[in-house]
Amino acid sequence: MAFPAVKHKHVKYVFLLPAVIWMLAFTIYPLFHAFYMSFHKVKLTGPDVFIGLQNYARMFQDFYVGNAAKNTTIMVLSTVTLQVVIGLVLALIMNAEIVGRRYFRTLFSLPIFVAPIAMGYLGHTIFFEQGGPLNIALTAIGFHPIPWLSHPTWAFVAICMIEVWIATPFCFMVLLAGLQGLPEEVYEAARLDYKSEWQIFKRITLPLLAPVILIVFLLRLISALRILDTVYALTAGGPGTATEVYSLITYRAAMKFFDFGYGAALAYILLVVVMLILTFFFRRMREIYD
Amino acid sequence: MFRKTSLATRTFLIITLVTATTWTAFPFYWGIITSLKDRENVNLWFSVGLPFLHYTPTLENWIGELLLPEMQHALLNSITTAFVSTVFCMVIGSLAGYALARFRFERIPNRDITIWFFSLRVLPPVAVAIPFFIMMKTLGLLDTRTALVLSYTTFNLPFAVIIMRSFFLELPPEMEEAALVDGYTRFGAFFRVALPLSAPALVSTALICLAAAWNEFLFALLLSSKNAITIPVLISGGEHSRGVEFWMVATRGMLAILPPALMALLVQRFIVRGLTFGAVKG
Repeated sequence: MAFPAVKHKHVKYVFLLPAVIWMLAFTIYPLFHAFYMSFHKVKLTGPDVFIGLQNYARMFQDFYVGNAAKNTTIMVLSTVTLQVVIGLVLALIMNAEIVGRRYFRTLFSLPIFVAPIAMGYLGHTIFFEQGGPLNIALTAIGFHPIPWLSHPTWAFVAICMIEVWIATPFCFMVLLAGLQGLPEEVYEAARLDYKSEWQIFKRITLPLLAPVILIVFLLRLISALRILDTVYALTAGGPGTATEVYSLITYRAAMKFFDFGYGAALAYILLVVVMLILTFFFRRMREIYD
Repeated sequence: MFRKTSLATRTFLIITLVTATTWTAFPFYWGIITSLKDRENVNLWFSVGLPFLHYTPTLENWIGELLLPEMQHALLNSITTAFVSTVFCMVIGSLAGYALARFRFERIPNRDITIWFFSLRVLPPVAVAIPFFIMMKTLGLLDTRTALVLSYTTFNLPFAVIIMRSFFLELPPEMEEAALVDGYTRFGAFFRVALPLSAPALVSTALICLAAAWNEFLFALLLSSKNAITIPVLISGGEHSRGVEFWMVATRGMLAILPPALMALLVQRFIVRGLTFGAVKG
């Protein structure tokens, strides 16, 4: 793709360097600084004190960290699985010839840019316990009202519901694009060999779609690990510590308790987890960007 | 799929579609109708209240909220920071995207530079947030719109680079070559030929950047305390100080939700490619 004859050899750096310098200044430098801070007791008013691995050691005895890591793991794995499965089911349906397909497609993609903070906030009315719409509907069809925000388990479920609502559209749209990119000839051949739609799905669609499913799953996994906004707006980690997530306690360590070193150490562990997930990705992305 | 639609599959289809439609549309529907109720009626007809049928819709909540000085201030902050950071992203990002699409970098292969940008985009923001806060404090930029613009540009820039690169790769290079032969400089060919040809891509990428900046919460929360407060930060504190007032939550929530939702409608064609960083073509 590159031009054979570039007149000025260095002009390409003029194009590229502003972006590289920006990222070095505002991401790479802060990452190094965070690494440095994670080994220090950071005082904004005086010099930092080197304390070795104490910040990291402290994490393993910190109840809040263990609890938040557990909550985040359960939340991320369950919501991402649901998002991908529901997204796939909807994509399969929308890939068929059905009436009003375009309108359904647009509708199902509508939440894609909705601010998580605003949905968490709106959740205060939707999950309202005495007379919110959900509980009214539940009572109307003969169920007991659910203590959505005052019961630890239900608060957790409420957060998960919002997360699924927000991110399923992404999975749906990408998987639908993936399905529409599958070659039609394969299906014509497959229909001669396999009788049921289920077999065609299992033997043909699923294997062909697997690379796209993997990309969707990994991208969702990485961004689900950031979860903060919905929790911050809807439950603030409560009731008790039932919905405390990793980013929330990291934020709190730094901004409420002003323990920047500890916060940096917490953030670094999350960074390492994301890096590990990314390594699964790299080979695939190298092929894509080649 | 569903070649021979039996009664069972058809029933399954209908039930799934009805459930998915209700599930997706309800928060929008609920938010909008609640924001149109007057403050006495807001607690009546919680789930079934239909405008005109059960109550007379009113714009008083919207007008009331939009007239609040704190709301106007937050709106202004949200709009200016989102726009300015998007302009930065598009200028710097399309230059770099063009470089990665058209030139060959010898020391580090282009694809590795692209992956570098990709990895910067997907790392957890909280990892950068704390040192970024200290950096802004050192620079004396806490609680300024400048700090917000810097942070929004930082997380949107890698996205703009990757997406613009993928669009420039699809542009046939012949026209730029012709422009170079005609005596255009490299920059001339970029600004006068490549950029205008990729206008739809530019606009879509910019809209996605705008939506992301409009929705951003963590950095806005960290960096602003009074002057630079954005809509997400404003609503994050609302229900604690004033209790759950349905009309207010619905109006403010919808105010934050609707602009990006409308943007999503405009960029339908580009969403898939954009949000998968070019990994899946829409």
